[in-house]
Amino acid sequence: MVFSSIEFLLYFLPIFILVYMIVPHKARNGVLVIGSMIFYAFGDLRGLGVLAVSAVGNFLAARVIRRKRGLIVAVAANIGVLILFKYYQGGAMLPMGISFYTFQAVSYLVDVYRREVPVERKFVDFAAYIMMFPKLVMGPITSYRDLRRQLRRRNCNAESLQEGLKLFILGLCGKVLLADQLALLWQEVQVAGFESISTPLAWIAAVAYSLQLYFDFAGYSVMSVGLGRMLGFSLPENFRQPYMARSVREFYRRWHMSLGDWFCKYVYIPLGGSRRGEGRTVCNLLAVWLLTSLWHGITGNFLIWGMGICLLIILERQMGRLWKGKAPAICHLYLCAVIPVTWMCFAITDMGQLGIYLSRMFAIGEGVAVHARDWQSALADYGLLLAAGVAASTPLTRWVYQKLEKRWLGMLLLAAGFWFCVHRVLLVGENPFMYRNF
Amino acid sequence: MKWCKRWSFLIILAMAGVVYYGAPQGIQWINDWRGMISTGEESPADDTVTAGGDAAESSKVGEDPEGNSGDTSGDIAGDISGDISPETPPETGISPEGGEPVPGATPEPEPLPEETPEPTATPEPEIRIGRVEDDYFSDALFLGDSRTVGLYKYGVWGETATFYASTGMTIYKLFGAEIVELPEQPDPISVEEALQHQSFSKIYIMMGINEVGSGTTESFAQAYGEVVARLQELQPDAIIYIQSILKVSQARSDKGDYINNEAIQARNDALSQLADGEKVFYLDVNSALCDENGALFGDYTFDGVHLKAKYITLWEEFLRDNAVLLD
Repeated sequence: MVFSSIEFLLYFLPIFILVYMIVPHKARNGVLVIGSMIFYAFGDLRGLGVLAVSAVGNFLAARVIRRKRGLIVAVAANIGVLILFKYYQGGAMLPMGISFYTFQAVSYLVDVYRREVPVERKFVDFAAYIMMFPKLVMGPITSYRDLRRQLRRRNCNAESLQEGLKLFILGLCGKVLLADQLALLWQEVQVAGFESISTPLAWIAAVAYSLQLYFDFAGYSVMSVGLGRMLGFSLPENFRQPYMARSVREFYRRWHMSLGDWFCKYVYIPLGGSRRGEGRTVCNLLAVWLLTSLWHGITGNFLIWGMGICLLIILERQMGRLWKGKAPAICHLYLCAVIPVTWMCFAITDMGQLGIYLSRMFAIGEGVAVHARDWQSALADYGLLLAAGVAASTPLTRWVYQKLEKRWLGMLLLAAGFWFCVHRVLLVGENPFMYRNF
Repeated sequence: MKWCKRWSFLIILAMAGVVYYGAPQGIQWINDWRGMISTGEESPADDTVTAGGDAAESSKVGEDPEGNSGDTSGDIAGDISGDISPETPPETGISPEGGEPVPGATPEPEPLPEETPEPTATPEPEIRIGRVEDDYFSDALFLGDSRTVGLYKYGVWGETATFYASTGMTIYKLFGAEIVELPEQPDPISVEEALQHQSFSKIYIMMGINEVGSGTTESFAQAYGEVVARLQELQPDAIIYIQSILKVSQARSDKGDYINNEAIQARNDALSQLADGEKVFYLDVNSALCDENGALFGDYTFDGVHLKAKYITLWEEFLRDNAVLLD
């Protein structure tokens, strides 16, 4: 079930919340597990078995692991299953959310081994941690340590319920009103064929895709945090206005933060982080970004994307010593120019097509049947939407939201926004989230 | 009262929903709000389902927002679901003026070629099919849906020929579609009205992909025939080319919905019967663009439905090679 689908918005969510609020506190984790399994079954019935095996298996594994060897076997089993599904038939059978819940399970095993958290004795609590539907499909990847207390006791009242609901609607608007609309421009460019777009249009479409991906995933993440809040959890923030960053390095500290934190904690730091000299740091960064690329997909374009990012980060580290944060505007311009290019490597899985797209962006060679003023009509059609997207990716969104959220005007706007989104979804059908494939 | 304040947001949310979905039609400000929301749909970045509903209003001649047709989720399928909506009776497209009897609309299902009002040509001009150059198309009109929009956008006749095309266009709503912008008119006028102001010597039609999900082959062919008949009334001197509905790729056809090549072929067979060999000709465009299984070449398309810009030239070349030469 997709968050932005009618089944979820009008049926699952209200019914679930009602049941959840009515049952006694002690039963809530159980209700959450059952509800999450129903939620999951609607999206991927076959994958439900894998999810259940993962929950039971990791619950038991953590109880028996004493030595490093045991940990390695358990982690390898988790990662092995993940790799198996990613590679088998090119990922066609990938169970929904497996990349996300597997990483959480691994973090739990490692934390238990490191004695950073005690072993969970209650299966229901552990299952609720792995399966809770607000973060089941696309994260945020949350460590057990962050949720352990909340799984035992959490406050869930009128205030948190409505606060969460408002956040959820904010994310929903980002997804339905911005991401899904911006998606049409990218689709248009794909239908025309990359060889036939003008250079300005290639840039406009790359910017549109960058915004689309952001509002899709950040919208989802805000919805996820909002849902968590409704149930009394506080889930970690996944995005912090990444397009406001001034370097690629900073960008990835603000983009999909829960994944970055995971890699930092379980790969980068154990490898020595940046404490063992520059050469070793570069190797560690390479390792992290290689794994990050593989996590996203096994096609070559993700490798280009990840290695490109890694190269930029390494260069920035060196340049940073000379530059020392001067001229922030120039740094920001650099980021805005470079990120859309990296997103194209991310978006276009066919290497030949990727080559064509990049050649159009940098006006290398001639296009075929290029309609020279295509970018003008694209701007006429999507200019407003693009401007809205740019504005919404600044801190303005948060500022306005915090100003208005508690006032009548803000509440009215959010209520209208909710029904407008419902109306849109009824009209055109829901669109799957983009990160769902990972 | 305290209770109300505590749950204020949920109450507002519920009330907004009740007002939007449950309120009677009579209350003006609610209607305004509903209207505001539906005009929102016509925003440029709109997709096909709306287009299916009323792309017509929002689009200009040929170029138009709806290249958007390629909507993310269901592209053409979107078009269709819009079009099958039961409120679209096939007749409306043809006689928006209501009272006027339309030839062929009444008892006989097919507008028989013999009946076409074409009294002129006493010494039968010899009809030959052959190759023409681009100037042939300068007094041509192209009628069509998103695929013809592609021809307009990426082809070479965009500036010279005339295009009344719009994404989501169907044969049923063609004449009523207000998509034609004339320099002297402030608002777009309908195709039928435009045809009374402008004249063309060739009219190329390609429509039918958006209709595959609605009606039967017979009802579609009948509606198509009525459109052709009305076109002949409006433009008695024009040669009318019925282009076959372009097939979809094998992958798209195998998706398992109503858009499949068998259905398209059946309709094309019916369309070919509308030709009379004198003024109305059937052009099997698919012969130039399809593989041996009769499916659109997979390389030619991204979404399985629309030709990539690069391959529009094959379509053009086919039309150049298969023109009626009148001497």
